[in-house]
Order: sequence, then structure tokens, then C-alpha cells
Amino acid sequence: MCRIAGIINFNWSTEKNQQTVENMCNLLMHGGPDDGGIFTSENGALVLGNRRLALVDLSQAGHQPMHYQNRFTITYNGELYNYLELKNQLIQLGHQFSNHTDTEVILAAFAEWNVQAFEKFNGMFAFALFDQTNEILYVVRDAVGIKPLYYSVKDEQLVFASEVNALKNVDFNWRKNEHWPVFLMAYGHIPEPYTTFKDVSVLHKGSFIKYDLKHRKHSIQSYSFYSFNQDVHVGDNLKSTIRNQIVNGVKSQLVADAPVGVFLSGGIDSSILALIADQHKKEGIQSLSIYFNENEYSEKKYQDMVMSKLKGEKHQFLLSKDDFQNHLPQVLQSMDLPSCDGINTWFISKHAKELGLKAVLSGIGADELFGGYPSFQRMNLARKLSLTPDFLLNIFKKNTKKPFNRIAYLGMEGIKGIYLFMRGHYNVHEIATYLEADEREIWNIINDNPMMGDIKQLPTQNQASWMEFNLYMQNQLLKDADVMSMAHGVEIRVPFLDQAFVKTMFSLNANEKFSGKLPKQLLIDSCKDILPEQVWNRPKMGFSFPFSNWMKNNSYLEDLMQDSNKNTKSYYNDFKQGNLHWSQMMSLMIMKSRHEA
Amino acid sequence: MKHKRILFLSLRIFSATGGIEKVCRILGKALFETTFSGDCSLEIYSSHDTTKQSNNNAYFPTDYFSGFGNNRFKFLNAAFFKGVKSDVVILSHINLLPVGWLIKQFSPKTNLVMLAHGIEVWSLPLGIKKKMLNACDEILCVSQFTKDEMVKLHGDVSKKYSVLNNCLDPFLPILSSQNYSIDLRNKYGFTPSDKILFTLTRMDATERYKGYDRVLQAMALLIKEMPDLKYIIGGSYDEIEKKKIDELIYELGLKDNVVITGFISDENLKDYFLMSDVYVMPSYNEGFGIVFIEAMYYGLPVIAGNKDGSVDALLNGKLGTLIDPMDINSLKNAIEDNFEPNKKVKVDTDILMANFGYEVYKEKMEKFVLK
Repeated sequence: MCRIAGIINFNWSTEKNQQTVENMCNLLMHGGPDDGGIFTSENGALVLGNRRLALVDLSQAGHQPMHYQNRFTITYNGELYNYLELKNQLIQLGHQFSNHTDTEVILAAFAEWNVQAFEKFNGMFAFALFDQTNEILYVVRDAVGIKPLYYSVKDEQLVFASEVNALKNVDFNWRKNEHWPVFLMAYGHIPEPYTTFKDVSVLHKGSFIKYDLKHRKHSIQSYSFYSFNQDVHVGDNLKSTIRNQIVNGVKSQLVADAPVGVFLSGGIDSSILALIADQHKKEGIQSLSIYFNENEYSEKKYQDMVMSKLKGEKHQFLLSKDDFQNHLPQVLQSMDLPSCDGINTWFISKHAKELGLKAVLSGIGADELFGGYPSFQRMNLARKLSLTPDFLLNIFKKNTKKPFNRIAYLGMEGIKGIYLFMRGHYNVHEIATYLEADEREIWNIINDNPMMGDIKQLPTQNQASWMEFNLYMQNQLLKDADVMSMAHGVEIRVPFLDQAFVKTMFSLNANEKFSGKLPKQLLIDSCKDILPEQVWNRPKMGFSFPFSNWMKNNSYLEDLMQDSNKNTKSYYNDFKQGNLHWSQMMSLMIMKSRHEA
Repeated sequence: MKHKRILFLSLRIFSATGGIEKVCRILGKALFETTFSGDCSLEIYSSHDTTKQSNNNAYFPTDYFSGFGNNRFKFLNAAFFKGVKSDVVILSHINLLPVGWLIKQFSPKTNLVMLAHGIEVWSLPLGIKKKMLNACDEILCVSQFTKDEMVKLHGDVSKKYSVLNNCLDPFLPILSSQNYSIDLRNKYGFTPSDKILFTLTRMDATERYKGYDRVLQAMALLIKEMPDLKYIIGGSYDEIEKKKIDELIYELGLKDNVVITGFISDENLKDYFLMSDVYVMPSYNEGFGIVFIEAMYYGLPVIAGNKDGSVDALLNGKLGTLIDPMDINSLKNAIEDNFEPNKKVKVDTDILMANFGYEVYKEKMEKFVLK
């Protein structure tokens, strides 16, 4: 896992291109503290940069940018979990390797299969690979979209980086994306492909940019994607199939030459990962947990139950109001694109770093694949409500009361309306009031950006899964996980998003997959023998943290809000009176700290 | 380009393996990629395929695809209601023109684009469809020939006609260190010195324009000078045509020199191209002929007719040999020449890719469809 950056610019001098990439790499140093390097093409128009966090082959042999056959050069961020398998195939085909990294396997695979190699990679990655003979640069992102890649192509120039923050200081005339505060307030994040700049986009998952330096032309092409339509019935073997695939996913993601741990929240998903990983490591796996003094939010009891079954080292950390008070400004600073969440990940990653861990497993993906969110139960109702005639929805639009105005989101076409109805952060009336804008203007912005097709031909629970996987997880969870962990130079690995596993889950018949009384019943049943009953059979806690109370008396927040305009102050008062969720307050805080309010 | 709801209507995309279906798959991929900018949404409907038939396809996610499995009413109903809400409706085939026309009547601002491939737009009288053509904002012809034929038959509404040549499938196998299977030569009893001609086509008694019969006649003239000349005719066939061709082979004394393979799957096709020396198909009614550019992709010199869309595929002869498809002598000479190292037309891969690569196709398609 590393951080990457690069540029193609024919108008600047070689030195300026190099300096630009070096500056970007310096801004990305937190995510790649172990090593760094840059590569410059012969004509000086292309420069690739890398900051390395060494996990596989920790020696200098893994230095990047890495070269192969005096023709191919790569700067790479990520992990390939099937690299040993691919390496064997490539050796059979006559390829020779000079080190033990997955990076060199990517190079050799490209040399052998060209762009058709990308589809063979199982892992999380973003990389830029330069073919010197054909003078073509490929910038590639993994098929699940775990690793981010931000880019801009303008006037024959290409610039890219692992974080938007690194691009900010590039000497381009970046135009601000005026819509981002609307997105943040509507979604709680900036949905892909948008960023805070008009000229910077997120590379679509499973796609690559092909930039031809000879002709100064580029195209963006898909190489892999996942679809839901298959409807495979597995029958009796379903549970064992699921279990085996989770075990395989965990085993392959434990491969590293540096210490790997697991985040254990006490919930079903992370407990399963911890228990399986512990079984497959001789010395057990190091687990990390966060708990609170506030009992109503703390999952310590469940963490203890799982920990008692682990042979590896266990670490529990109390996250107190004081920690929160002391570190909140740093959390906000670590944030790349604005997001209303990620605090928890920032703290647990900090502890992982302090323990000397370089990678940690996380349970992201299980809720989306197995039906862990309320949307799986509510999708049917939402679809029915979305059939409400337009004139009625317009009445809701005009109603300023929160729940009614939210219903108006359903008037939007397709899955986007349903998503915002279920997961919207603020309603349009609130956004317009806060930003002092016309409500129609806000509707237009949200309606048109981004455009999304409908998926109503899928079974309703698969629609929910599609929505949570492609929107919530993609735009919120994975981005938060990446940025907040890399702020501490720690890599988060997500075994539930192993590509073979995702493929299996997407292909299963929806009734088979989502049957049972409890949410995620199939996951529970597949791992019941190792999972303590109290963990899966417990009263619902909701997904909450004591941040509301802590933020109410937070001096940083108080200072920040002091010279606010009347709208911000009014929303802040609402928050203090308990009428606004802490995550909604986070969004306002971010806008305020970025001078957008 | 700003904010387009795109609806792509097709007859078949996955349930048949012909050229039109191939074009639809590639267009589906190109359209899917336009959604990455956030400015477009896409839905793809197929009247004949079932949704399941789209599973595991590499071109676009099936989440945006609906197959209506021959249920005409459902298809028309869904296409109409979605169409009137769309900014762009693309028709993959002239048979979809009535639904496109209807959409246009209720939603004149919807941009209606139709693909014109080949024989389907010029071989039969169009009747009422001829009038409906006026509803199209853009008719994308796969070749200049198709465009000329349409203008000739349906009147000059030339401002609506544009040429969008077909392209190479981006999922064709990458040619690297892997070579073709020697087993295939052994399977057909060919020796390393045999000179192999190849034609890939459906042998159909009702569609006899591909010219394999004339290749046989040309071979008969050559066989004394070139006894090691072999000819593979690949692709499915109907029994009537097979019988007729078998008889011709026998009459011409070529039974040891010709192999009729029957259907060849996409996975095996590479081996046939790589085993062959020259691709020959002197047809006279080709809309474009994707198979020509595929053969050139595998490095084969190509011989084609100069009376139809093949001219576009061979870039007016820059990429291969164009002959009068009915002239057996020209065909004989062209075959001879293409086995002469100094005379054969070598394929220039750079020119091939610059004209028929997927990226070029996508760029042009966006210009026509999303303008």
C-alpha cells in the first residue's frame, strides 16, 4: 500500500513536472512513510511519483517506481491477493522476476496480457503503468473501487494522485466545484465522480485511463464490473460455500511481510473476521477495539466475549471525551474530500500505528452484501411510495417539515431518489435555507448530478444491496476508511470485498441470500459454530457513538462557530438542542472550516 | 455534452452471434463508459434476449439491462414510456423504427438515432418505415456504401446520414507470446508447408453473396500451380447450401483441399485466424464486414470485393486487396499475389488501429450520439 501521483504535461519543463510530482508526493508522505521515488520519461513530459508503505518484500527491491524489461514502469498503490498464483502462470510463460513483490507481478502480467491483465487482478489497487515503447500511460483502479484515484485531464494534460489534497497545489487553474456544499449536505459526502474541484474527478471503479503520449489523446475504458442479475441457486451447500469463501478471503489477505491486525468492533462482521483470522495464524491475530465510558454506546461486553476466544494479543482502547476534544482538529485535517464520518476509523488507525501494525482487517462490505441495513426491509415500501403522483410529491416539496420534505426526494428518477429518501443527510429545504439558495436550484443540482440509471428490474433486496454497495459504501465508507487509515500510514484490508466473494454474493438468488429472521442471517448461519450467540442474538443497538454529547461542549467547535452567519448559528443551536445529528453537525463544521459558510 | 438520459433499444445482443449483435455489445460498452462522467444515465432494452442471457457479459453491467424475451407488448410498452422520458434513444436496427417514430411523436425533443448496418436497410421495400425515417435525427451507417445505398433508395436526406464504421472488439485476445494451437493443423491434416485460405461466414442458401463458391472456382484454376493450397470455410451452415457446396467441391476436384468446419466458437476463432495465411471473402452485399478487420488484427492479408461496404473495411485498398467479386480471374490473381512475399498487401497495424480501434469508434460515437 502506498500513495501515488503523476503528471503528463507537454508545456512545462522537465524540472517543473518533477517538482510538481515531488510536491504532490510530499503531501502524501503520511500514507507512504517507508520510501519514495520518482520516474521521468525520456522527453520529460511524464513524471510518476510514489510514496511507499512496505508490506510485501520490505527490502529496497520493492522500491518504486519499479521497472520491467526496460520498457514498463509502474507506480502502484495497493495489494494484489492472487499475485503468487499469477506469478506462477507468468513464470510458466517465460517471465523472470527480480524481487518478491506483487508490483513486479503486475508489470509482468501487463507485459504478457496487456490491458486484459487488469481483469485478472484480485485485490485493491490504483496504479499508473507506463509503456515506454508505445508511449502509453495506463492509470487503473480496482474493480470494487476500494482504493481511490483522482485525476484531471485538461488541455492535453493529465495529473493524478491518491488524494485530492495532493492535487490542490499543482499549478493548474483549478476551478472550484460550486456544488460540493450541496452534495455534502444532501449525501453527507461528495458522491463519485465529483470532488471539490470541477476539473478533478474520481476514476470509475474497474476502469482505466489510457493516455497516448504520441497523439496526446486519452480514453477511459471499463475492464471489469459486477452485476446482480444472475440468480444462482446453491441450495444445501450455500452456508459452507459462503464460509469457505470468507476463509479464503481472510487467508489471502493475511499475506504480508509486516504485522497485520484486525479491527474488532464487537459486531458480527468484525467478530467473524477476527475469529477466522485468529484460527489461521499460528500465533493468533492482534485485535484492536475501541470502547466508550458511555455504556449505552459501548460494545465492550461483546468485544470481551470474542476476545476471550482469540489466542492473539488483544488491545482495547478507551475513546474518551478528552481524546475527542484534543484530536478533532487533526481528524478534520486528515480528511481529504469532505465527509460527515470517519472519526472512529481515525482513532483506531492511530492505535494500530502505535502498536506497530501496518495493515488491519475491517468488516466493511458485509452489511451491503448480506443485508445488514434497514434499507433491505424498507426498499419495498420506498418503491411503492415512489409511485406517488408528482402533484402529491410537489406538495411534500413545499412542506418544510423534515419527514415530509424528505419524501419529496422520491420524485427523483430511479435509485438516487430512493437513496436520498433513506439515507439523505439534509432535506432540500434545509440545504436551500442553509446555503441561502433557491430550492429549485438545489433540486436541479441534485437531480442532474450525478445521473443514475434505474435498477428496478432487480429483486428489491438486491436493489438495496446495489444501492448500499455502489453508493453508501463506495462514496462514504471506503473513502473514509482509506483516508483516515492512511493518515496514520496504516492499510485497511477488507476481506468481505474479495473479488471472488463479491462475485459469488452478487450472483446468488435474492430469496436464498436474504432469507431468515435476522438481518445477515446467512452470514450468521455460515459462521454460527465460531461466533458467540450473544454477539449475533442481541438487542439492536443502532449504529451510534457518543459524539453528539461530546460535540455539544467542544471548544474547537464553539470557536469555529463563533463568527458564523445567522443560518449556521441557527443550525448550531438546533444541534445543541438535540434537533440535529452529530454527523449533520460534522458537515457544517467542515463547510465552516473550508470557508464555505 | 450535458445530462443525457440514454435509452438503447435493440433486437438481440446476446442471443445471437452475428455482426449486428457484436456491434450492439460494443456500443453497449461504449455507452456504459459515457456514464462514468456522471453526466449520462443508461438503460439498454432487448426485445428478443432474456435478461439472463446477458449474465457474465464483459461489455456492460446487466443491472442496466432488461431483456423482454420476445414479449413484444411488454417491450414496446416499456420502450415507449422510457423513451419519451429519454434525451437520446438509439435504435440498433431498422425494425425498431416504429417504436422510435412513436417516441418521437410524443417527445419531439428526444434525439432519435438509428444504426444502419447493411442488407436490412436496402434489400427490402421499407413501406411505411420509409416515412418513419424522417423521424430520425441521425442515421449512423456502418459504411459509406450503406450510406450511399440508403440515400439512393430512400431519398436524399443526407444531412441525417453519417458514417460510423464498425470497430474491433476490445476483448479480442491480445496477441503476445501465446501462439496458435498446432493441434488445429493436425486436426485437419495440414502440413507446415500448406497454404491456407480462410473464410468465416454463415453458409446460407438464402444469402449467397459471400463468394465462397467463387473462391472455389478460383482455386480450381490455381490448384495445379499451387497443389498445397487449402481452404477452410468456417461458420454454421444450412444443409441445402452445404450439399450444394459439397457438390461443387467434388466437381472442381478439390475435395482434398477444402474443409467446411461448421460453427466455430469465439474462443476458438483466434486459432483459425492464426493458422491461416490469407483471409478471402469476395462478397458483394456486405454492410461493412467486421470479419475483415478481425482477420487483419490477427495479421492476415485480406482479399475482399470492391462493390460493397468491404471497401470501408479495407480502407479503399490501403489495408488489403480489393477485387471485382464476380471476376474469378481477378480473384485467382489476388490469391496468387497474396502468397508472394513481394506482392502481398501487409497489414499496417497502426493504420488498422487508428481507423478501427475501439477508442476511435467510441470517440466518433460520442460525437454523433451525445452531441
